[in-house]
Amino acid sequence: MEFKYVGKNIARPDAAAKATGRVQFIDDIRLPRMLHAAFLRPEYAHAMIVSIDTSEAEKCEGVVKVVTGKECAFRYGENMKDRLPMAVDRVRWIGEPVAAVIAESAYQAQLAVKKIKVAYEPLPVYIDARDALKKDAVLIHEDAPNFVRLPGMEPVPGTNIANRYTLKKGDVEKGFREAEIVVEGEFNYPFSSCSAIEPHGAIVWFHEDKTIEVWSSSICPFIVREDMASVWGLPVSDVRVHIPELGGCFGYKSDVTIEQTVAWVASFVPGRPVKWVATRQEDLLSTLIGHGIRTMIKIGAKKDGTLTALKTTLLHSTGASMDTGIHVLIASTHNSTGAYEFPNCHLEGLSVYTNTPPVGAYRGYGHQESQFAMERMMDILARKLGMDPFALREKNYLGPGRVTSLGERLWESNGDVRKCAKTVQKIVFDKKKKLSEDDNYYYGRGFAALMKSPKGASFSSKSCYLKFNSDGSVSINMGGAEVGQGLRTVVRQVAAEALKISPERIRVYTEIDTQFSPWEWQTIGSMFTIQGGRAIIRAAEKAIAQMKRTAAQVLRVDEDRLVYDGDSIYLNHDPSVRVAVTKLTRGYTYDDGVTVGDVVHTTADARLPRQSNPDACGQGTMGITYTFGAQACELRIEKATGKIFIDHFVSCFDVGKVINPRQIRGQVTGGVMMAIGSTLHEELKFTPDGKAINPHFSKYRFPTILDAPKKQTIEFVETPEHIGPFGARGIGEHPVIGVAPAILNAVYDAIGVDFCEIPLTKEKVLKALEGKKAR
Amino acid sequence: MGQTVSFTVNGSRKSVEIEGWEKLIDVLRDKLNLTGTKRGCDDASCGACVVVVDGEAMRSCVYLAKKLEGKQVLTIEGMSNGTTLHPIQEALIEAGAVQCGYCIPGIVMALYALLTKNIAATEEDILEELAHHLCRCTGYEAILEGAKLAQKKMAAARG
Repeated sequence: MEFKYVGKNIARPDAAAKATGRVQFIDDIRLPRMLHAAFLRPEYAHAMIVSIDTSEAEKCEGVVKVVTGKECAFRYGENMKDRLPMAVDRVRWIGEPVAAVIAESAYQAQLAVKKIKVAYEPLPVYIDARDALKKDAVLIHEDAPNFVRLPGMEPVPGTNIANRYTLKKGDVEKGFREAEIVVEGEFNYPFSSCSAIEPHGAIVWFHEDKTIEVWSSSICPFIVREDMASVWGLPVSDVRVHIPELGGCFGYKSDVTIEQTVAWVASFVPGRPVKWVATRQEDLLSTLIGHGIRTMIKIGAKKDGTLTALKTTLLHSTGASMDTGIHVLIASTHNSTGAYEFPNCHLEGLSVYTNTPPVGAYRGYGHQESQFAMERMMDILARKLGMDPFALREKNYLGPGRVTSLGERLWESNGDVRKCAKTVQKIVFDKKKKLSEDDNYYYGRGFAALMKSPKGASFSSKSCYLKFNSDGSVSINMGGAEVGQGLRTVVRQVAAEALKISPERIRVYTEIDTQFSPWEWQTIGSMFTIQGGRAIIRAAEKAIAQMKRTAAQVLRVDEDRLVYDGDSIYLNHDPSVRVAVTKLTRGYTYDDGVTVGDVVHTTADARLPRQSNPDACGQGTMGITYTFGAQACELRIEKATGKIFIDHFVSCFDVGKVINPRQIRGQVTGGVMMAIGSTLHEELKFTPDGKAINPHFSKYRFPTILDAPKKQTIEFVETPEHIGPFGARGIGEHPVIGVAPAILNAVYDAIGVDFCEIPLTKEKVLKALEGKKAR
Repeated sequence: MGQTVSFTVNGSRKSVEIEGWEKLIDVLRDKLNLTGTKRGCDDASCGACVVVVDGEAMRSCVYLAKKLEGKQVLTIEGMSNGTTLHPIQEALIEAGAVQCGYCIPGIVMALYALLTKNIAATEEDILEELAHHLCRCTGYEAILEGAKLAQKKMAAARG
């Protein structure tokens, strides 16, 4: 199929407004009579609150109100209502809000917060799920079994286990009996932060007419709206949520994060808007953090490399609330097979309460944590088998006719991991390694295949409102959040292709406002292009059909004889019989003024087809397509320092169809860089008593341009996806999945040491090099 | 207590009453409503707030407002002329360096200071400057490409 606009480097519609600083992010919004909030965070990660003295703070200049959580009677959460807007009588993590000051200026609020005095009675602190699971551990939520939650989520009474997800496929014991070789390992993906450069923020305004108006740096306005309505006892229609421009997301601006806390505070000053924007420290500790997943893995195989069984146990240090972490862990658990078919699986994920900030979505949503384990193990297993690691993988790749852990039989349209792997192999491994070592460096190359499953909900639609204007230009309004990924460009290109008009004639929405925007579940899971694109095509088809209906009347022919070309509708065998689109957009008006037909504006939506909940075996359908890929790197390790230099990073994904080559490259270069950060530098660290060690950019080692790979090679395979727009699949999260294992496999290739956890800092590498020398 | 400082912002003279603790970013964003300058961290390490003061790139989040007397400040709002973009802005857009856009104003200003001082800056000079700017979206490839394109465009404009 030939495309006119899809596959081209159409310019971003929002670039100029961003480059001039004109776009408004949450902190740029100023409202009349706006107040500002600042929060007190606890001195302990786990403690009873004995008393709070706010008297000194109340006397400070500019202070309007000091708020505590004492009277707070509600919990919130989308999956499990285990979140409190503010600590009531106990603090459970170091970033939790304990009290707030509302003042005329943010500075006044910050000064007054320091005057609040709190007496605590410390409790034992658990940072790691393994400690929280110990027999005598204090329960972080004693009443967890009573929390309101979705069906299927079961806290284990008397323990800190917030949920246990088990997936069974085949007979794992039989699978291990059939195995001729068994390998085991344990891998850790520690806490980190999405760290968008724009921190979280929200404004909440309780109006005199009992409605609530919210502005938030969120990617899920409709979920925030429903949660607000439910907590504050209002019809959903009485809550209005605005989403201004978003300065990056990478996961942690999904779900309800800070909004209920700001609402709790603002409820004490009804009639005035209250704004809060996180400091970087608060953004790192008081919103959502990433990962915290430990994977124990055991693989059985035949001597010829045929995989027979997989047992994984994932321990999730999910933080003091599980609401936002549960699906990350479920995804991580059922995706722990990676891109391989295992006939027999027993996969288990335990979400465990810990005294750390709640874990939530982080680009990759569970995929990188357990596939880090799988891809390292593939190399280790190949070594044990004395087999070429590519041949081992090749033998076991998922593909058409093969069945995932969830019991889904794959089609050709689910993509081709073999082609991706071959592409990457050809670029990196077909040539002989130039050098293993010289005076200054060790050299290594490593590979990882990957699989990305979708993660949604059965009802998770995206909608499109499409309006033809009088001059034939088109306005498109949707609920998808542009976070920098380039969603607006994709909307423009897909719409242009579907409507056969130039992208310049299509204006894409900017802000989201639940009062005007069509409903969308939330913009997560790399699903906007595929689902949103499908909604656009459906809306476009409806609009064209509607114009044809009017044209049929006007031209006095049957509808099915008409052809639409973007500018006109004409009779298929005689194009001279035609009517211009501009004459149809508001119905057709005859010379005498009589008008027939409808205004051309349509709505359409697209959900995850056939998505189902997990059955008793933990299996089900994910409802939308899988995506496969492969990544590899060539690196150098400096002998004197242990420092790793990524000379070349290669990625290939089967994306079905590239919509915009420049943008998709930007997604991959950015994702790879982010995951290099996770692999080599980034970790959000806590002391044993739960205090944060590095909650600032100067200490949290965020990668800079000097850490970028010398070169990135990026290729795409295009096996069309049936339901995607023009064959396209998602790409947003995929680039982070294979990075850690590719690098750590390359490190083994360079120095013969198997590392099982990240970040692999130069200190750790240097220590290993010294250990090698000592041997 | 308050004092008044007089300085120019984007060519226009301002007299602003300030508090001793206030930083340039507070003055720009909260007193002059120039919200194009962004705040991204607490500790002068992200570069989102960079503006140009007397020709030098400065992190406005640590620049004390009381030092502004007589200075010439250039912010992102002063870079475009009406609706015509500065070549640095054009270049970053063309290279695909603008994703979420939050780090971009700081990067535009830093490149402006660098390339105005030295249009022949080497790649190392550019890298050294950009190393002070955090970006989570791009992986930096497009930013470096944009910076080099900006240099070309500015050199061409000078003739």
